[in-house]
Amino acid sequence: MEVLGQQLFNGLTIGSIYSLVALGLTLVYGILHIPNFAHGALYMMGGYITFTMMTVVGVHYWLAIFVSVVVVGLLGVLMERIVFHPLRDAPPIHDKIAAIGVLLFLEALAQWIWGADYQSLPTPYGQVVNLFGLTVTLQRVLIVVAAVLAMILLNLFLKKTFTGASIIAMSQNREGAHLVGINTNKVAMLTFMISGGLAAIAASLSAPINLVFPGMGHLVILKAFVIIILGGMGSIPGAILGGYILGFSESLGATYLSNDYKDIIAFVLLVIILTVKPTGLFARGGH
Amino acid sequence: MKKGLVLGLIFSLVLIMAACGGTPTSSPPESNNGSDSEAPSETPSTEDSQEAKVVNIGYSGPLSGPAAFYGKRTLSGTEMAVEEINNSGGFEVNGQTYTINLVSLDDKYLPNETGANAKRLVQEHQTPVIFTPHSGGVFAMQVFNEQDNFLIMAYTSEPKITESGNSLTVRIPPRYDGYMEPFSSYVMERFGNKLAALPTATQYGKDWTETLLPYWEEKGGEVVYESSIDFTKDTDFFTIITNALNENPDVLFIGGPSEPTAKVAKQARELGFEGGFIIMDQAKLDEMKRVTGTYKTFEGAVGVMPLIHADYPGTDAFVEKYEAKYGEKPGSEAGLNYIATYILVEAMKAAGTVDDPEAIRAHMQDGLDNLPEDKQVYVIPSIGEDGGFEADLSVAAVENGEIVSIKVE
Repeated sequence: MEVLGQQLFNGLTIGSIYSLVALGLTLVYGILHIPNFAHGALYMMGGYITFTMMTVVGVHYWLAIFVSVVVVGLLGVLMERIVFHPLRDAPPIHDKIAAIGVLLFLEALAQWIWGADYQSLPTPYGQVVNLFGLTVTLQRVLIVVAAVLAMILLNLFLKKTFTGASIIAMSQNREGAHLVGINTNKVAMLTFMISGGLAAIAASLSAPINLVFPGMGHLVILKAFVIIILGGMGSIPGAILGGYILGFSESLGATYLSNDYKDIIAFVLLVIILTVKPTGLFARGGH
Repeated sequence: MKKGLVLGLIFSLVLIMAACGGTPTSSPPESNNGSDSEAPSETPSTEDSQEAKVVNIGYSGPLSGPAAFYGKRTLSGTEMAVEEINNSGGFEVNGQTYTINLVSLDDKYLPNETGANAKRLVQEHQTPVIFTPHSGGVFAMQVFNEQDNFLIMAYTSEPKITESGNSLTVRIPPRYDGYMEPFSSYVMERFGNKLAALPTATQYGKDWTETLLPYWEEKGGEVVYESSIDFTKDTDFFTIITNALNENPDVLFIGGPSEPTAKVAKQARELGFEGGFIIMDQAKLDEMKRVTGTYKTFEGAVGVMPLIHADYPGTDAFVEKYEAKYGEKPGSEAGLNYIATYILVEAMKAAGTVDDPEAIRAHMQDGLDNLPEDKQVYVIPSIGEDGGFEADLSVAAVENGEIVSIKVE
């Protein structure tokens, strides 16, 4: 029983990270109509910028995260302007190739700036706390709370504000949105900004429990692809739910089935869900 | 439509995996005319024998991707030795002065890439010797190194690479199976006989596990949990550690690159583990300490002696020089590759040739004997019949937050 509780919490922690990364990916899918392969690299840049702000500049963790969100958000905008905007009328394969190019470029850039070594991101919340008989660190509680908070804010923004509604409108129909007077350029940039920001939040929250290194994006990006396929391409509730499904299936699968096969369990789950609902849990258009 | 999309996705993933090509980075040696060898050359083919000739030495290792930090640390040891040798005017073989040109290629830790790199090094650069820091790459090169006639300087403690009977392989570090006895008896005595194994999910980690676990059981121990951690896929280790600790082990067997291994130990402590650790020789205690800031996290850990705490004749000078050049403290990767380069040069001198791998291999013992004392970052007395350097194992444990040396018979 104690193990079950502990593993549920572990699943919640890792699921929160997955959800945040998948959210950014799914939002940009609405604009690009391809999964943005460079999203993992944005995640990695987020980790590095928080790391640099904390160790070199010496600011507080929260301020460092804020800077990281802004910088990576702008990096996302830059990426949209320089790479994806000129390709908006090209066939989708061009976007894919461009995204892979950006991924390789950013990884090489990070290795050039910060070196190939593992870096350890310090956290002011390293204390071990006992939560209802579970052993957790404050950082992990923080991951869960901050992720949920970010998701609620994002949802409010998309549902309750005009700008948010225009993002959804554009993801549903780009030309239609253009016709009713939405500035699609502005919305595309904004979406990339939010997507980059979410990646930076996810990386900054998770880096203290792991490490910061040029390949850290690979840890989450493949799983984020699985999540958005599972949840339905472009669907926001799908990304959130899919993230938690994957998180729980990993932690519970590792406990009650086999740790060595926990990835297989996650992928079998994907196959089953896609067999029953080929478009994913939430079909597109039903935001 | 969706099907096409998923297919496209898979295709693109394949592209990601296959992407990025290795670029050779070769640093030409400093041209130096300061050599004082005025003796006439014995090779009649060259006209001006006073000019230093260049011998190419190959390196193939991970210089990009997740293991890049490891590749760079192994390369930097060789690089530093080469630079020192060239700056001091090169070395003399049969009256002819040579400088070294180190040609390094990236293999991304993939054995097939190592094989391709080796072919390229031999054909394009005529390298008589190739350094490589991983067992997979060594196995790949051993398929053809005797035909293509080049010597492998293998930085791996895998015993199988020298057991295969390859006549042109030199294993630089001590083989890891020697660590089983001192590691096991130390933690068994101090903590108890229940072991949970959580090493890295690489081939090397699996081989280590397969050597350690039978030994542990033979000594009367019990293995209560066995799994592995894939550091290239797992963001969080809490899940697997929770499961391992649920079996109440006295000792955890962990390993992999130093930094993630340190995180595993730290998370085990956070989950209330109070026992000891057996640390695979890939991870180094001093590098692990950099992650947590203190040795206290690793109380009761037994592993290889960190180079900076060792006291061989040349260690201190090397640590100082290395830190000045690279801005970080060296580990055994750098130290062993550094002296291996010097030993190789001494062996070339003794063999009287720079391009006959068989002769160089045959004079490797002379190379060990002639290594100047100030270069002895480690003391390696002999090389075995099988091509492995035979050095005393240096084992360390953490007691009361400090590194102490453990005697090995």
